[in-house]
Amino acid sequence: MKNWLLKKTLSAFILLLCFCGLLQAAELKAFSGNPVPPPLILQDLQGKTHDLRDYKGKVVVVQFWATYCGPCRQEMPTMNKMMKKMGSVPFKILAVDMGESKAEVKKFVSEVKPRFTILLDEAGDSITSWKVFAVPSNFIIDPQGKIRYTLFGGVNWDDNTLINKIKALSKSK
Amino acid sequence: MNILSNFLVFLVLVFSLSAEAKTLRTINAGDTDIDVRIFSAKGDTLLLGFACDEGKSITEEKTAAALAEDGIEVWMPDMLSAFMLPNLRSSLADIPSAALLAIISAAVKTGKKVYLVASGPHTRLVLRGAAQWSRQHKTPLAGAILIFPRLFKGEPDPGRMPQYVDAVGTTRLPIMLLEGGHTPARWELTPLKQALEKGGSKVISKIIPEIRGHLFSSKDNNRTEEVVTSQMAGLIKVSLFYIKEYEK
Repeated sequence: MKNWLLKKTLSAFILLLCFCGLLQAAELKAFSGNPVPPPLILQDLQGKTHDLRDYKGKVVVVQFWATYCGPCRQEMPTMNKMMKKMGSVPFKILAVDMGESKAEVKKFVSEVKPRFTILLDEAGDSITSWKVFAVPSNFIIDPQGKIRYTLFGGVNWDDNTLINKIKALSKSK
Repeated sequence: MNILSNFLVFLVLVFSLSAEAKTLRTINAGDTDIDVRIFSAKGDTLLLGFACDEGKSITEEKTAAALAEDGIEVWMPDMLSAFMLPNLRSSLADIPSAALLAIISAAVKTGKKVYLVASGPHTRLVLRGAAQWSRQHKTPLAGAILIFPRLFKGEPDPGRMPQYVDAVGTTRLPIMLLEGGHTPARWELTPLKQALEKGGSKVISKIIPEIRGHLFSSKDNNRTEEVVTSQMAGLIKVSLFYIKEYEK
């Protein structure tokens, strides 16, 4: 009985380790290119138009993702948790789907249920102007509307270090 | 009983024919011997495919057999086993260029037109081999087919143009690029094409709709991916057709 319990605990621990290993630690990279972001004016799934400039005063994560991207699927639940943790912090996630149809994105959204704004860019115009060649690619925009950090790869957005850094950025002037 | 014995004879014939279709040749590359699976054919085209998979490529072998039936000879060298390297992306850099040149040299000696083909990160080997070959030899290679090319140097950096491995843009080889419509790399196809053209290559690029970037290895292929995987030989023949247009 003791052995059985030990084996079960060990298996659970290994599983936990495996799960934790799916997403990499979040490391924001200071952006050294032109801090003025390219235009981003896209519609969400409900047809509402979002313009990045309208979110001045907030920290905005502009994420480029796709339904076929495994790490994107894995990290989205942690982005939901992050949204909850941010509370009243002026913060917005604009997650731009890269070149897929509305139907494809809708199906994904019904499964993953993101609590943040999903934007559609079927023609891929923003992908070219933002120079995105891999997914997920993230740009962290400060309240003044300048690109401050980038982040590539699936990460745990629920990580406190990352959240604190974004909270600090929201107070920057 | 007659039907059964006829069926058994048929099976024996089928198996002996397929055994004849593939031969194994060992090519010496300095300190190392490299095993090459050869699917012989009588045509004047030889496709040198860097599968790098320790000989496990079942689907690639089916593709090679189908091409050989259509007169295109296919060579599949097992570069990883030759150097006792694990099947990891990082192993590719450890494959010496001299070994690639030894294989290319043996292929060129057949007198056939030699085209290189690889997919994913193995496309780096093709370009490295082609670049070295063009620097050291007068006999040109006929072309290269790069399926889902992954030629980034280091990690992609959001907001910056891609940086490519050194071999990109150092050969005049006609190149066909095939990319999946459901890969982020499809957005990189234009800059990659431009980078390859800097060396004088004529580059054609095609996006295959609804395809992700891992046809042969995926266990969760969608319907389109299943079709494309099973019809890869046809896709390669079409690619050869496009490249050959430049020879005219």
